[in-house]
Amino acid sequence: MSVITIDRLCKRYDTNEVLKNISLSFEAGQIIGYIGPNGAGKSTTIKILTGIIGDFEGDVTVLGMDVRTHSLEIKQKIGYIPENAALYDVLTPVEYLNFIGRLYGMPQVSIKKKSTELLELFELGSKTDQRLSGFSKGMRQKVLLISGLMHNPEIIFLDEPLSGLDANAVILVKEILSQLKKAGKTIFYSSHIMDVVEKLSDRIVIINKGEVIADGTFETLQQQASSGSLENIFTALTGNQEHESTAGAFISIINN
Amino acid sequence: MISLFRPLINGRGIDFDRMMVIVETKLKMDQRRVYMNWRQGKRKENSNHLLMALIFYGFLGLVMGSMIYLIDNFLTIMIFTHAYILFMMAMILITDFSSVLLDTTDNQVIMPRPVSSKTLFMARLIHILLYLLQFTLAIAAGSWLFTFIKYGLLTGLVLIITTLLAVLLAVFLTYFLYLAILHFSNEQRVREIITYFQIFMMVFFTLGLQVLPRLLDVIDIKQAVDLKGYMYVLPPVWMAISVDAFRLINFDNLHILMILLSCLVPLTGFWILFKYLAPGFANRLIALQGTSSKVKSKDDNIVKIEKGSLSDRISSIACNTPVEKGAFGFTWKITGRDRNFRMQFYPGLAYILVIFFIFVIRGKDSVAENWRQLPETNNYLWLIYLSILSVASSLTLVTFNESFAASWIYHSTPVKQPGEIVLGMVKSLFIKFFIPIYILLFLIAFYIWGIMVIDDFLFGFFSNMFCFLVLAILSDHYLPFSRQPDTKQQAGRFFVIFIQILLVGALVGLHYLLISRTLLLYAVIPFLILGIVILLRTIRALPWSKIAI
Repeated sequence: MSVITIDRLCKRYDTNEVLKNISLSFEAGQIIGYIGPNGAGKSTTIKILTGIIGDFEGDVTVLGMDVRTHSLEIKQKIGYIPENAALYDVLTPVEYLNFIGRLYGMPQVSIKKKSTELLELFELGSKTDQRLSGFSKGMRQKVLLISGLMHNPEIIFLDEPLSGLDANAVILVKEILSQLKKAGKTIFYSSHIMDVVEKLSDRIVIINKGEVIADGTFETLQQQASSGSLENIFTALTGNQEHESTAGAFISIINN
Repeated sequence: MISLFRPLINGRGIDFDRMMVIVETKLKMDQRRVYMNWRQGKRKENSNHLLMALIFYGFLGLVMGSMIYLIDNFLTIMIFTHAYILFMMAMILITDFSSVLLDTTDNQVIMPRPVSSKTLFMARLIHILLYLLQFTLAIAAGSWLFTFIKYGLLTGLVLIITTLLAVLLAVFLTYFLYLAILHFSNEQRVREIITYFQIFMMVFFTLGLQVLPRLLDVIDIKQAVDLKGYMYVLPPVWMAISVDAFRLINFDNLHILMILLSCLVPLTGFWILFKYLAPGFANRLIALQGTSSKVKSKDDNIVKIEKGSLSDRISSIACNTPVEKGAFGFTWKITGRDRNFRMQFYPGLAYILVIFFIFVIRGKDSVAENWRQLPETNNYLWLIYLSILSVASSLTLVTFNESFAASWIYHSTPVKQPGEIVLGMVKSLFIKFFIPIYILLFLIAFYIWGIMVIDDFLFGFFSNMFCFLVLAILSDHYLPFSRQPDTKQQAGRFFVIFIQILLVGALVGLHYLLISRTLLLYAVIPFLILGIVILLRTIRALPWSKIAI
């Protein structure tokens, strides 16, 4: 059964059409890599799917529910971890997670237990009383991850989740995502880091200028683009082949 | 207390329990937020800043309220009281609460969670109202107390009601202002305007504390306000007359009209705010957040770079080496854009007005009489040396910046003589800040005293420049924008300020001796110029060992 269906999705900001007639559908228990250049419409798609943006054309359902009419029910069952998201800096991570947990209607005992254990797991156990304003980017990202997952969602939307994480944390998060998938969760993963998307994703969707230009498994895309790595596929399909000449021009200018 | 309203709130698309979670968290965050951003100085992280702000405003409120007891003219003092409350609430909303009103963090933190927009909106509204209630109590309790004491229970109760109505009006006006700005401009412009309001607040309090006591000696505020026709459109006048109606038990047509205006205008404004403005405001902020980088307003964070900018043109004349020119332009641009620098520097210039006011309003004579006698005095000396006192603070302030870590660039580039960077910075500050102020003060002096001041202002220019360079040599040699603002800024400053005062005092004394001795004035100028050249070279020659890191 499809857990996410997108049918003729269009989104405009003033006269700028950021999403043009996108139609997709995703099954449960998959990791979907959703990639594209800056401004392609990735974040907008995710915000529509997570019910943050309600003004759009077309039909979008998540877990069988229309995002326009059942956004609260959908939000109860999904987790969203945006890139570089704002946090309430004057709160400590425990206070922040307590706040988020209560918004999800989680029992207080469960919030306390999970937040303590998950912070400990992410090596933030000694920082529980420190305000988030004093946290590094990586530490904030860990708190974000916990806040998006601790209510045990069925679908998880991630936008550059590895941003700012140290090497160990990156490996840990990748392993967490793999195990979440094995547990039947659906993961919608947007990232610029091609090799991670390539290795993790069961299905890859490439979006460019508001349109889906490729959709399939990594092997399918390889065949379509006749290219090796996802990076090459991406370059070939988004038409941005000028990196070599741009790099050459850069060297030429600095040498002058 | 809010739980009493649960049956009313719950079920209208609003989840009461989740709403209370949000309100409780926001109230907790209020206690930790820094208030009175227009105040300088370091604030401790774990202090209850909200409580301190409330105490401060409460003290002010008590002082203002005591005037009710001291001044017999009821209408005058009520107009004054309501104007004060309206002004203070608007200022607090703009300077302290703007960060909350404009904050879009809720969209990122709360909107992805199972919380309806109505629940969030109600939570924000209740939060704002609770916040306002606290500050209303702090600002107005003094006035209420003295009104109860002097005019009785009924008048006091009516004053409480009109105070709350004034607060509603302030909220409506502030929201309307923000929405209007957002409509015609963008979020960045709103933040800029808030910065200017905060600077205004600092200047207002700086001037107010110094000037108001002197003004009170001069102006007889015990006299009745002579209400002219246009004054009847002012909300403080409606509210004052409304309270007066109940005090006198006088409900003639005028009083009834004023009572109706006092009630209907704020309530209608608040209803418009609740129904249309606040959701529109929130949507506008979301829209601003949601637009991609391509569709954002072209004005957002874009600095207009003109060919041959002013700082470039001036630096090509004033500076010798590329490093010096670079530091000159860099200092010029950042001091013009950095909010914290502006917030700390510009209010200091208000002291020019304060000192000018002090030496005009002196003694028992009226302002007009003092003004008439001014050309017969040598008080233009104050004007000559006032500017250096205010501008000197820039030498220290320019070393601090939130992005101080970016100063790694100084150490990674092959700068042999960091003194060139310091010199470029010093020249930039002198030309950008001192010269325009000095010219303005010269024009004022010329207007008052006439042609006789030209020689003295010419001498003063060189002596001020000399003084500025001495202060630069005496200060810690930090590179521009290389220090973290949280470091103890005041440490050692008292010594520097003391030296500043001594130095300026010595120059004033020297100049005083030379007044009316034009030839001597001109004879000393070459020595000053020589001193300036030596000081410039000394600064330029500063090695890395002398640079503070």
